[in-house]
Amino acid sequence: MTTLSPAQATADLAEFDRTTSRWGRLTMIAGLIISVAGPLYLVLFRNLGITSTQLWTAVAAVLGTFFVIWLVEPITYFPILGPAAMYQAFMIGNISNKLLPSVLVAQTSIGARPGTERGNFAAIMAICGAAAVHLLSLLVFVGILGTWLISVVPAGVTDVARIYVLPAVMGAIIVQAIISMKQLRPTLIAFAVVLLVQFVLLPLVPGLAMVSTAISVIGTIIIAWFARKEVQPAA
Amino acid sequence: MMPTQLVENGSSTNILSVANMPVLWACALGVFAVIILQSVIYIRAARKAAPAAGITGAELRTSFRSGAVAAIGPSLAVVLVAIALLALFGTPAVLVRIGLIGSAAYETGAANIAATTMGATLGDATYTQQVFAVAFFAMSIGGAMWMLTTLIATPLLKRGEHKLAKVNPLIMTVVPAAALLAAFISIGIGEIPKSSAHLITLITAGVVMALCLFLAKRLNRVWLREWGLGFAIVAALFVAYAAHTAGLGPVA
Repeated sequence: MTTLSPAQATADLAEFDRTTSRWGRLTMIAGLIISVAGPLYLVLFRNLGITSTQLWTAVAAVLGTFFVIWLVEPITYFPILGPAAMYQAFMIGNISNKLLPSVLVAQTSIGARPGTERGNFAAIMAICGAAAVHLLSLLVFVGILGTWLISVVPAGVTDVARIYVLPAVMGAIIVQAIISMKQLRPTLIAFAVVLLVQFVLLPLVPGLAMVSTAISVIGTIIIAWFARKEVQPAA
Repeated sequence: MMPTQLVENGSSTNILSVANMPVLWACALGVFAVIILQSVIYIRAARKAAPAAGITGAELRTSFRSGAVAAIGPSLAVVLVAIALLALFGTPAVLVRIGLIGSAAYETGAANIAATTMGATLGDATYTQQVFAVAFFAMSIGGAMWMLTTLIATPLLKRGEHKLAKVNPLIMTVVPAAALLAAFISIGIGEIPKSSAHLITLITAGVVMALCLFLAKRLNRVWLREWGLGFAIVAALFVAYAAHTAGLGPVA
C-alpha cells in the first residue's frame, strides 16, 4: 500500500463520498419504486374492486401509527452507520437485530471506532457481508424451501398460522419492546392509554376503530412527554 | 355464515393465488438485484478509497467476513419468522417486507391496521384478496416512508449532525419509546376480544419471549435473544393449533 499525500487522500474520500451518495441514493430510489410497484400492480391492474378511498384510509391509518418511528430511526442509526451505509441499511432492513450486530462485530475486529472513516468503511463492508448472507438464506430457505413447505403442509395447519400469527408476533414483540426499552413510565402510560381507547373510547365511538392505534400512539406520546422524568443533575 | 370458514373457498379468500403471482415474484427479485448492485458499487468504491480512509484491503475483507458471519444467526432467525408469515402474505411479499425492507413487527402491524380500516381481520374469512392487496399496499407505502426519510435525512444529518444531537435528548428516547410501545400494545390488545385462542396465543408468545430473553441474560447466550422472536412465534402457533382444535377459536 502506498502512502498518500493529504491532498490525494482528501480527494479520494470526496470521490468515495460522491460515488456512495449518488449510487446509494439512486439504488435506494430504485428499491423504493420496485417495492411499491408490486402492490400497485395488484391494486391497479388486477380488478380486485379496490376504491381509492379504501386505499388511502388504510395508508393514512398506517402513517398515523408509525410516523414517529420513521422520523426517529434514521436519526438514531446515523451516528453508528455513517452516511453511505444509511442507504444500505434502510433498504436491507432488520437493522437493529441483524445489521447493527454485524457492524459492531466488524468494527471491533479491526479496532475501528464508530463515526470515524475507518469505522464507516468497516460498517459498509460488514453490511455488504451481512447482505450477502441474508439474501442467500432468504432465497434458499424462504423463497424455495418455504414456498415448497407451504404447498405440502396440510391446509388446517396453514389456516391456524394465518389466523394466529398476528397475536403470536405481537405477544413476543410487546415483551421485547418493554424489556429492551427499559422505560417503565412510557410502558405504563401506553398500557393505560390503550386500555382506555380500546375499552372506553371505542365502545362509545365505534367509528374510531380504524384509527384506534394511531389515537393510542399520539395520546401516549403526549402524555409520556409531559409525564417524563427530568434527569436530575448530580448534586 | 359458517363458523370459522377455514377452507380456502372460492377465489375471494384464496390469498396465495394472488400473493404468489409472477409479477410480485419479479418485483421481489428486483429488490434483491438492487441490493446486490448497491453492494458491488459500494465495495468497489470502498476498495478504491481505502488507503485514504486509513484502512487496509485486508481489514476490508475482515470486515466483510465478520459482518457475514455475524449475520448468519440473525438471518436464520428472520427466516424462521418469515416462514411463519408465508401463509398470511405469500412468498414475494414476505421476502420483501419481512425479509428485507421492514421487519415482522412493523409489517404485520401495518397489515393489521390496514385490514382494520376495511372492517376485516387478517387471516380469517374476511381476509379477502382485496384486503390482502390493500394491506400489502399500505405496508409497502410504510416501508417507502422509511426509505424516503432516509433519503431526505441523510444529507441533512451529514451537514449538521451535531445540531440535531443538541435537541433535547429526551425527545429521542421518550417519544420513540412511547410511540413504539403504544403501537404494539394497541395492536396486541386489539387481538384479545377476537377469541380465547387469540388471547392464549398472545400470552404464550409473550411468556416464551420473556423466557428466552431471561435465559439469554442469565446464561449469557446472545443467540437466544436473536432467536427469541422465532421461538416465541412457533411455540405460540403450536399452542394456537391446540386451542383452535379444542374449539376456542373465533366464531364467525
